[in-house]
Amino acid sequence: MTALALAGESQVPPDERIGEMYLSAEQIAIRVAELGAEIAADYEGREPLLVASLKASFVFLADLTRAIPILHHVDFVELAGYTSDETGGTTAIRFLKDLDAPLEGRDVVIVEDVVDTGLTLNYLVRQFALRSPRSLAAVTLLDRPYRRLVDDLPVRYVGFTVPDEFFVGYGFDVEERYRNLPDLHIARAGS
Amino acid sequence: MLAPETPDFQAYRGTEPPVFQNGAELECAKILDYYGVPWLYEPRTFELEVDEDGRVLEAFAPDFYLPEQDLYLEITVMKQSLVTRKNRKLRKLKERYPDVNIKLFYKRDIERLGQRYGLKLAS
Repeated sequence: MTALALAGESQVPPDERIGEMYLSAEQIAIRVAELGAEIAADYEGREPLLVASLKASFVFLADLTRAIPILHHVDFVELAGYTSDETGGTTAIRFLKDLDAPLEGRDVVIVEDVVDTGLTLNYLVRQFALRSPRSLAAVTLLDRPYRRLVDDLPVRYVGFTVPDEFFVGYGFDVEERYRNLPDLHIARAGS
Repeated sequence: MLAPETPDFQAYRGTEPPVFQNGAELECAKILDYYGVPWLYEPRTFELEVDEDGRVLEAFAPDFYLPEQDLYLEITVMKQSLVTRKNRKLRKLKERYPDVNIKLFYKRDIERLGQRYGLKLAS
């Protein structure tokens, strides 16, 4: 079955940027279930707060939250993405959407789609640490460590360590499309 | 070499305005700044070879230093196949200064950063 067929009887035209399947929906589901069980065991009785950074992680979070059979909460943040300033100025990262819930005294688990350089997660960790949580940890679906600039990160749970590729599907997009593909595919050049 | 450009870098920890060698360095500086990661530009020159009289025959100044990570970062926009000389310098540096952490970002890495962060390389 092709990716486009999985996307829903293919109302979508073929796109050469969607490469071969890297992880099937079944493979992802098995690993997410394992991660959920690990988190549940580690946070039993602590009612952790899962914080997902939009947008790509929303599919992972949706599956992960249902794989964690203990009381927990869910919240979202969204960060402004970097764009080069043609005028030569600089801008600073900022929240487009901040948390709804306070973090003081909470056990916080940041849910990431992928950790690459570590810059985004490092920013979130530093910002959240200022809000006095009881603990801070992170779970990432994908770990791509080849360009890691910040190593001192509390990544306690890793779904898959992946090759130096870009991906599409399972929340990852190509120009905002194809997040709904259930499998994870290699994104080909040009995306 | 690019003309001295002095954007109002917030995370730059140097004293003199950095003068970048190419657009990739500038964009990397902007990315580090964007994420609030303190950085320095070419803060240290490592001696790689010294003759009997103490004259420096070969030296190497990595492009960036991230003090919080204790990490040097060297950027090259040359194709991976053309960076033999730079790789040799890095090997020498690691031999002479085994405690120094340094990473080399190739042109491909910069392009990947660009895809990830919407970076536009200046020509």
